Amino acid sequence: MLEHNFDYTIKALFRDKMLIFWTFAFPLILGTFFHLAFSNIEKNEQLDTINIAVVQNENYKNSVMFKKAIPALSDKKNKEHLFNTKYVTKEKAEALLEEEKIVGYFILEESPKVVVKKTGIEETILKQVVEEISTKEKTLNIVAEVTLQQHGIDETKRDIVYLDSWISATYQNILEEWEKKPTIQDISSPNLSYTMIEFYTLIAMTCLYGGVLGTVAINRNLANMSSNGKRVAVSPTSKMKLVFSSALAAYVTQLIGVLLLFLYTIFILKVDYGDDLSHIVMLAMAGCLAGLSLGIAIATLLKASDNTKMGVIISVTMLGCFFSGMMGITMKYVIDKSMPIINRINPANMITDGFYALYYYDTLDRFNTNMMSLLIFSAIMIAISIFSLRRQKYDSI
Amino acid sequence: MTVFKAFLKVLNKSKAPIIMYTVFLIIFAAFNVEKNDNPAQFTDEKPSIYIVSREDATGINRNLVDYMKKKCKFVDLKGQSLEDALFYRDVSTILFLPEDFGKEIMEHKTPKVIIKSTQDVNASLTELILNKYIQTAYAYSRIAKTEEEVVEYMNATLSKETKVEVLSKLDTSHLNKATFYYNFLNYSLLAGLIYVICLIISSFKEEKIEKRTIVSSMEYKKFNRSLLLSNGLFALFLWAFYIILSMIMVGNIMFTTHGLFYILNAFIFSGCAVSIAFLIGNVIRNKNAINGIVNVIALGSCFLCGAFVPMEMLPKYVLNIAHILPSYWYIKTNEMIKTTEIFNIDSVTPMIINMGVVILFTIGFVIITNIITKRNRKKD
Repeated sequence: MLEHNFDYTIKALFRDKMLIFWTFAFPLILGTFFHLAFSNIEKNEQLDTINIAVVQNENYKNSVMFKKAIPALSDKKNKEHLFNTKYVTKEKAEALLEEEKIVGYFILEESPKVVVKKTGIEETILKQVVEEISTKEKTLNIVAEVTLQQHGIDETKRDIVYLDSWISATYQNILEEWEKKPTIQDISSPNLSYTMIEFYTLIAMTCLYGGVLGTVAINRNLANMSSNGKRVAVSPTSKMKLVFSSALAAYVTQLIGVLLLFLYTIFILKVDYGDDLSHIVMLAMAGCLAGLSLGIAIATLLKASDNTKMGVIISVTMLGCFFSGMMGITMKYVIDKSMPIINRINPANMITDGFYALYYYDTLDRFNTNMMSLLIFSAIMIAISIFSLRRQKYDSI
Repeated sequence: MTVFKAFLKVLNKSKAPIIMYTVFLIIFAAFNVEKNDNPAQFTDEKPSIYIVSREDATGINRNLVDYMKKKCKFVDLKGQSLEDALFYRDVSTILFLPEDFGKEIMEHKTPKVIIKSTQDVNASLTELILNKYIQTAYAYSRIAKTEEEVVEYMNATLSKETKVEVLSKLDTSHLNKATFYYNFLNYSLLAGLIYVICLIISSFKEEKIEKRTIVSSMEYKKFNRSLLLSNGLFALFLWAFYIILSMIMVGNIMFTTHGLFYILNAFIFSGCAVSIAFLIGNVIRNKNAINGIVNVIALGSCFLCGAFVPMEMLPKYVLNIAHILPSYWYIKTNEMIKTTEIFNIDSVTPMIINMGVVILFTIGFVIITNIITKRNRKKD
């Protein structure tokens, strides 16, 4: 009986086109959209070379620091290549800015000035760099002047020739030190790609959508839901066996759907789940179990039509995904930070956060917490289902 | 009137999704608030930072912290997970300032500063600022005898800011907000209109109802006309509702020429959305399929055409594909309105062309719908 019911439940589930669309195809379609829309975001957020112009006036030609620093920063071979620079007249620079060919231009009047079209991050970088160069120029002058004074060389004693070589030696020293750069060492993890969260919520959504499969499978055994259920109810078979095999069939169907999604996201969309395959599989299976048990609990608890039950499951899933960052990852962070209780009981977040922990964290503590939460959640849901299903009897229906 | 009444009945049933699409719009538009009150004056873009250091730091350490706090947006993460804050871009850089940083500078050693960063443009800017400070302090340590002296020199040198002139007088923050709202409207309008109109058309198409309508005394032309009119009326109502909502959410900019173009553009797009909805409503036979189709079409066009993720962030090939969707032209017009300073023939012509493309799409959908219905009727 167990096998018989299992086989037929699987057949029935796979023949329901709408069901298969929502649990199998829709996640794949949504994943494709995510990939198309998000694949370039992080690349765009990195610092690219900035198009600027420099007005070549007399002041610029006579300046020491600017004439040295700007071409260095514009040199493609330089490791710190920052600008694509055009050296032009003021009129030409204005025209370039007007056509938005450049972010801004730099002009050395009595003091350095930057002209931009709007406020923005690239504009700020241009301003910062100009400021840095003029700060350095000023610093050099002050250091040289004070050094002279400290050596007792005041203005009357200054021999031009001697001084020139002396000052340029000091200049040279400082400039060389600056070339060396202080060591700012970045020790952040290479796994910082936040768009991954979107794909994790997608897995979470698929796991929880599996609840719909659970509902449909269980409805086949409920006397108040289908004629099939009425026939089953009067048959002399153990209800426990029936419910169990139906649930198992839904679980297997669900796992096939999630497996498809994993294969698609890993091999075609190149989503990074970390390297720990066994934990990924465990989490996915626990996630599916949570979705299934949620679906069964809603199916047994709600005395409503098929559509209402599905509506409830889909709403719960979408709300859960919303809180775990599907419509913008900031939402997950805000909830995690300010209302952690919501995401502690949110199965979508347990799944998402589990994958996040595998991807970003070196230790497994956070992952284990999420795994445990999922199992506890499933256990509670299953307990609720058992209590509302047992001793269900109808004298007439 | 009978048809119209039936229409209202179905509409009443599909309240929930419409409300949901609108709530999405409100939430996302409200989230997307940027503040920049005076567009004519340059304000530095401030990258966010958190600094791990001793609270009672003095001398150069103290001064560096103060300087970074001034130049960056300091986010206080005390007691929170630094790793999470970095991953979710709450901060772009976390700076671990060694206790003996100032001492090492004074001894003219190269101090080692450890950071964790998101490695994006904001982090690069922070690194630039940090670098400048360290290098300058390093140079001054040659002539200064104490840390306090270095700090004095530093404050004198660093206080001077470069002059920045901003040419454009556009109110970019409000325009950004309006553009975001109207781009997102692509979703709410498409999803709302397709859902309702498909549901209505397929309700009237149910076999028994269709047969009853055919045998009734009502002329089929009149029936079609009132159905079309009710749908059009609904579209007009939805459009007007979203316009009023935009006036509340976006503010004064809606009452300028910019606003007028946003409204006009949305109107033309609403027409196109109705024609898409008619096409789909006439193609599908299964009421249950509506939800799936609405989601795929509305979400798809939003993701591909830059309603959720701005156009400039999308890969080139995606935008090339998007050309075949009317949403692309609608959103492109919105982006054009955002950057237009003066409305004259030159700046308006490309917008008009885009709107023309959307109208062509509309006509195309109407023609296809007619061909399909004709064929279906013959089949019957």
